[in-house]
Amino acid sequence: MTKVPHIQIENVTRKFQVSGGSLVALDNVTLDIAEGEFVTIVGASGCGKSTLLRLGAGLDTNHEGSVIHAGVPVDGPSLDRGMVFQEPRLFPWLTVERNIALGLENSGLPKSEKKQLVAQHLELVGLTAFAKAYPHQLSGGMAQRAGIARGLVNRPDVLFLDEPFGALDAITKTRLQDELQEIWAKERITMVLVTHDVDEAVYLGDRVVIMSPRPGRIREIVEVNLPRPRVRTAATLLQVRNRVLNSLNETTGAIDRERPAAVFEESATVSKQPITAFA
Amino acid sequence: MAVISEFFGHARLRPRKRLLGRLGTGATALVLPVAILTLWWVASDRGWLPQQILPAPAYVYEMARDMIASGEILYHTGVSLRRVIIGFAIGAALGLSLGIAMGLSEVVEDYAKPLFLAFAQIPTLGWIPLLMLLVGIDETLKIIIIAKGAFVPMAMNTFTGIRNVSPRYIEVGHALRFSRWQQLRLIILPAAIPSIFTGIRYGLTHSWTSLVGVELLASSEGLGYLLVWGRQMFWLDTVIIAMIAIGIVGFVMDKGLNSTEHLIQRWKKGEA
Amino acid sequence: MAAATSQAVRFRRGITLPIFLLIAWEVSSRSGLADPRFLPSLENVALTAKRELIDNNLFGDLAYSLMRNLAGFLIGSALGVGFATLLALSRIADRLVMPTFNAVKQISLLAWIPLISVWFGFGEQAKIVFVALAAFIPIVLNTYDGMRAAPADLLEVGRALKFRPHQRALRIYIPSAMPAIATGVHLGLIYSWLATVGAEYFLAVGPGIGGLVIAGRERFDMAMVMVGVFILGLVGFSLNRLAYSLEAYLLRWRPRQVR
Ligand SMILES: Nc1ncnc2c1ncn2[C@@H]1O[C@H](COP(=O)(O)OP(=O)(O)OP(=O)(O)O)[C@@H](O)[C@H]1O
Ligand SMILES: [Mg+2]
Repeated sequence: MTKVPHIQIENVTRKFQVSGGSLVALDNVTLDIAEGEFVTIVGASGCGKSTLLRLGAGLDTNHEGSVIHAGVPVDGPSLDRGMVFQEPRLFPWLTVERNIALGLENSGLPKSEKKQLVAQHLELVGLTAFAKAYPHQLSGGMAQRAGIARGLVNRPDVLFLDEPFGALDAITKTRLQDELQEIWAKERITMVLVTHDVDEAVYLGDRVVIMSPRPGRIREIVEVNLPRPRVRTAATLLQVRNRVLNSLNETTGAIDRERPAAVFEESATVSKQPITAFA
Repeated sequence: MAVISEFFGHARLRPRKRLLGRLGTGATALVLPVAILTLWWVASDRGWLPQQILPAPAYVYEMARDMIASGEILYHTGVSLRRVIIGFAIGAALGLSLGIAMGLSEVVEDYAKPLFLAFAQIPTLGWIPLLMLLVGIDETLKIIIIAKGAFVPMAMNTFTGIRNVSPRYIEVGHALRFSRWQQLRLIILPAAIPSIFTGIRYGLTHSWTSLVGVELLASSEGLGYLLVWGRQMFWLDTVIIAMIAIGIVGFVMDKGLNSTEHLIQRWKKGEA
Repeated sequence: MAAATSQAVRFRRGITLPIFLLIAWEVSSRSGLADPRFLPSLENVALTAKRELIDNNLFGDLAYSLMRNLAGFLIGSALGVGFATLLALSRIADRLVMPTFNAVKQISLLAWIPLISVWFGFGEQAKIVFVALAAFIPIVLNTYDGMRAAPADLLEVGRALKFRPHQRALRIYIPSAMPAIATGVHLGLIYSWLATVGAEYFLAVGPGIGGLVIAGRERFDMAMVMVGVFILGLVGFSLNRLAYSLEAYLLRWRPRQVR
């Protein structure tokens, strides 16, 4: 594949100063993402996935190396780069509808169009009945869906999604995965999605980036060369899934030697993932 | 590789203006007071306002020195402080008792709270004329008024503090078969302390405000009296000095409360 | 907790003490147990209330007091919110002004009266200035604290959505400070009423409910003082209620609190 790199992450290192010491959250990470590509990222908790997304979105520019979007260095946030945060981060004083409208606040669109887009996205995430509800009246999954709608509504060039379906039930999750895929296919938005769900990663991604912790590095990138629409239960998909899982297990195995007891649990949770969410 | 440190969540600061950036925090804080003093000095020097409306700063300073040297300021401050301490102690003790009683017993709450709330609605200043008729204008009046100022917030905050103690802690107490007294001493009161402290803070502030009020209306000594007297004689320097003295006492009380609160906070952290 | 005591029982308990006090009052003043000059009979108080209300235009006095209160409160709170927003959002303004403000706020409210009377006289203007000052201080303090505590993660959302400074203020800082502002407004309402009474006591020119109380005391008319004090309480109570409903309205986005 020889596509134009749309997002170029070049030798990026990000360190945090933590109680006197310095913690390397990302160590010399390089990742090129093509225009219109769907990249998914998996990795153990704390391996720097959120950190990487924040750098990509321009929310954090305090790094070594370079982050380039469409040929221009990223030096701050932009409406062309959308972000769906790991926690929904809804504004508690705004109704669901107005929270979603925040995504269009600076879009310059006329009011009527904004209204229509908001309604459309409420529908998309199944929250039409809750348009006038306040965030505290939503369940965790509903709040997360509202956050997704806010990230999507202004149709950015690139959308970074940090575990967007983490708090959803299996059925809503599969439905939203398909909706997201449809939007991606239709709008050709470049998408970078972080997830802990390996099935989701291989189902959605053109490529799956596997990260390893301490320090945060890219361990392997697995291509999912399968045509879409994909069948969740297809043997070919399961093969890719197993490869990703193996690779992931090895990354956690690496820590295994460091901290035996705790990590055992982590790898256990990874392999406990249901083989298919939608059998 | 250079180590870059930044704490997540702190919005990056805009580059500040050079001028202020160079000045220390302390120096920046002084800019406004110095500007006001200068303006004051220029205004009185040029005679923009009559002496009776704005005395010269030098004059106020001299007056202050005299009043300190003669012990006058200290005397009036002492009188006021004594009143506040006695009144506050009485009012706070009563408020604490009522707050605890209402907090612990729903029956007491049912009986006492409506009347208490009605009583609390009347501003302290409202009571002064009524009490002047009842008890005259001597020391008793002042103590009662100051005590009332402390009583209401103290009772209210103690009550809510006790009522807001998480039932989970109380359950722990039940599980450990604490007696009622142990429950109170080991769980309820410690958990209610931050709220009680808020009561003390408001109580002291209200006491101090009430004191100034009652001294303005009926007193022949104390800082409030100094204010009225200076006003009547059109000695604005005296008025300003009394205001500064009142401000300093308020400041010291505030600092005292803050450090006590810190002490309590530390103890809370140590316990956790 | 055991089964909640019924509403009726609680009500009965609640009115027990007040009724008992009223009876004790009536009995002691009628029987001559207490000097009626100090404790006038209920009937006497009622008659005085009627006299003041109907013949002496008490409502007019009350209206004057409330107008002052409202005008001062509105001025003080508008200035307060604006001033605090400036201090909270501008580091420079904060560092320049806040230390001075913190020093000045230590001066007890009523201590300003003599100075205000020298500068603004005894008329309406002086009273409104004083009432505005009373509302201003708690509103500034609370608004400022509330804004400084604006949640960092929402500020980051604002950055991601490219909020401009005014959007940041209107969409994040002010709404997230709303609970604190509401507290400030509540305190401001209470203090401004206190200040209205204070202004009418000490800057005693013109009509007002505070003037009624002072006049009652000067005439040694306990019934008149009582009527005045009762009305002071009633207004205080109404203002408190008003503050609560205002708070509930401003904070309707919050989960309902257990009170
Ligand atoms: N602001 C910060 N200050 C200090 N350390 C940080 C900060 N942000 C992240 N880190 C550290 O960087 C590492 C990576 O964090 P990050 O949030 O990117 O992990 P993650 O891969 O998203 O984990 P999870 O799957 O749990 O969300 C962690 O060790 C974390 O403690
Ligand atoms: Mg994360």
